[in-house]
Amino acid sequence: MIGDLLFRTWRGPSRLLPLDALRGENAVGGRMPEITCPAISPALARRLADACPTAAMRCLGGTTTPDLGRPPVGRAVAELRSPATDARWRSGRPQVAANGTDESFFELDYALCVGCGRCAAAAPEAVTPARSLPICGVQRARLTRRWNLATGAECAPPAVPELPRLDRWLGRAVNIRQLDAGSCNGCEAEISALTNPYYDLERLGAHFVASPKHADLLLVTGPVTRNMEEAVRQTYAAVPAPKLVVAVGACGCSGGVFAASPEVTGPLDRIIPVDAYIPGCPPTPAMLVTGLAEILRRRRRAGRGDADS
Amino acid sequence: MRSRDAILAALAPALRQAWLREPEPPRLVSIFGCTGEHGPSVHYLLDRGPAGYEEIVVEAAAELGSLTPLAPAAAWHEREVHDRFGTVFAGHPDPRALIGAGDDASAAGRFEFTPVAGEGITEVAVGPVHAGIIEPGHFRFSTMGDRVVFLELRHFYTHKGTEDLLAGMDAALATPLVESVSGDNCLAHAVAYCEAVEQIAGLEPPPRAQALRLAGLELERLVAHIGDFGALCGDVGFAPMPALAGRIKEDLLRASARFCGTRYWRGIAVPGGVTVDPAAALRQELVRAVAAAEREFASLAELALRTPSVEARFEGAGVLSLRAVRDWAAVGPVARASGAGLDLRSLRPTGAYRGRDVVPPVLAAGDVMARARIRVLEASASAQLILDALADWPDGPVRRDLPAALEGCGRGFVESPRGELLYWLLLRAGHIQRCHIRSPSFQNWPALPSAVIGGVIADFPMINKSFNLSYSGCDR
Ligand code: SF4
Repeated sequence: MIGDLLFRTWRGPSRLLPLDALRGENAVGGRMPEITCPAISPALARRLADACPTAAMRCLGGTTTPDLGRPPVGRAVAELRSPATDARWRSGRPQVAANGTDESFFELDYALCVGCGRCAAAAPEAVTPARSLPICGVQRARLTRRWNLATGAECAPPAVPELPRLDRWLGRAVNIRQLDAGSCNGCEAEISALTNPYYDLERLGAHFVASPKHADLLLVTGPVTRNMEEAVRQTYAAVPAPKLVVAVGACGCSGGVFAASPEVTGPLDRIIPVDAYIPGCPPTPAMLVTGLAEILRRRRRAGRGDADS
Repeated sequence: MRSRDAILAALAPALRQAWLREPEPPRLVSIFGCTGEHGPSVHYLLDRGPAGYEEIVVEAAAELGSLTPLAPAAAWHEREVHDRFGTVFAGHPDPRALIGAGDDASAAGRFEFTPVAGEGITEVAVGPVHAGIIEPGHFRFSTMGDRVVFLELRHFYTHKGTEDLLAGMDAALATPLVESVSGDNCLAHAVAYCEAVEQIAGLEPPPRAQALRLAGLELERLVAHIGDFGALCGDVGFAPMPALAGRIKEDLLRASARFCGTRYWRGIAVPGGVTVDPAAALRQELVRAVAAAEREFASLAELALRTPSVEARFEGAGVLSLRAVRDWAAVGPVARASGAGLDLRSLRPTGAYRGRDVVPPVLAAGDVMARARIRVLEASASAQLILDALADWPDGPVRRDLPAALEGCGRGFVESPRGELLYWLLLRAGHIQRCHIRSPSFQNWPALPSAVIGGVIADFPMINKSFNLSYSGCDR
């Protein structure tokens, strides 16, 4: 009978998606927003910020402008969203004004976005669900895009230091330990899909291991709950150096919809050092593969017959 | 041990009557605290069979009589109410903290486990960080040789205070948060929440929205059961099955992405209806994908279950008795595999389930094999429901506007892939005052040890997988 099963598998066509094809459509099914209009007007910015329930799209300006050299990461976003300082999360009304002066900005923070699709519904002429999201497997600062509302143009992305190059130590293999720091299991469902015949993460030389002591890379989901904080620290300590930490999902990147909870002590980069981020709620398996390929600098080895990089 | 009369006497009068009224005691659905404008109260939600649900509201006192000695299913509920609202349940046999209020309970090491001692007893501690790609939780086994003589769960590592986060939120904006209560059942959570809001609004979503919700809910079940079945076979070393099931599951998720733009149907259900209206061509494509997946999965599952190495491990392992199902008020496929025919789609259908005549499969054996078979049977039934719904697609809009500033109290019940899911909601001026979430996993986790104790410890991963409960859904 096993023979029968194996025969079916062999007979079927290969489902493996080459890396290049994955890059071109890695966000399909994830509904991360893509801005399609050349410029963002203050009115549009306000409309989008109004529609967004997570403050992933937000207007910054006037007195509440934060230090612009530093994007409002993690806890800062939670504070923006706490009842005392920003009523938007609770009442759906933005407090900060988008008045079109040069101090006003519109931000799209993929670290917070849960792909709910409300922005695309509110302004279909300016936003569509992305087919491809290159901002995947990158540093935290690169997850936030910013537009200057005086000109409507997008600001240049911040300069960020290069990702650490673990491949010099690892050669072509990498052992991944997945750690759930209190997720909803949505990210786990998609990470499990990485071993299916469509994505086959092992083609990157990546392999999931059972113990942090065997791992080179920690793939962490969830906002870090109070009850998991100690376990996160201990798991990180158990991974031998050199090591990489990758935060996965809106919760992993920013605390996501749970950032404001007193039961949450994260986001992850408050607890342990994080090297790279893969956003999404949850990220599609294709975003995870392309994000990991970016972090591991595996540009080729795309599928059967492709040359090694 | 106090007498039954003494236990009954300590209960609030309405509750006492509920337990005395019928020959069979009611099924406990949930117990939760609420601080409304009439002061704090404790709500008991009971299922009285044909008489429907009954909600008993008791004024919260510093101390209430515990229901747990009569109904073990009350144990975790009362502990949670105590953790969150401070009410003491006098006579509770196990008043330890459940969720872990205060820093002293944030690690299992500082939690007082039930001592099990004796010659030859070994303690095995597992978790919260497990070996696979799964959620965190702690299991404490006491074994004698290979036999498990006792098992205690220490969960709530993924507790995120979701119910408190929901409080204060605009009812129209809360769906992203309820979809993140249990990510693999996100549509079931969203629909249960939306039905509660719609009940308060006193209106139903348009027929086309209801049909789309039904198709999505059944697709969610189909995907969950195919994935669970594959993983279960993987746990006994039957490697081709997880690979093939993983492929069929992925076929369906990719079909979902083409159909409605999201793999797991996040952002689809909103109070008043749904956000997408797929065209006829897309519906045809989904019909083909579902029919193909069902055909392939049914024949593969049959093959797997007739493989001697799988049969030998599944049969007779991890038996959950009907008695245990009743004691713990277990729900869903787990209960149906042990002879309890509880399925809201047939007992109390809502939305497009009305008039559909769902006949849930029920098996009596209660072992891993029965739980595997239930999933196979339900997967076929779900596929059929999706095909029926798509063949008979209503016309009209997919969304209705809800009145602003909703006020009142509503309940949403959905038969999620794991069983009965409840959202209890209190709205004031369009904002959530209190939202209580009773997931099927919260109900079923306490029943797990009774299927594990007496077996060998090496069977635990398989038995646990055959329950396949959500940690996050339980912990919230
Ligand atoms: S998809 Fe939803 S969460 Fe993401 S930016 Fe748009 S409105 Fe905000």
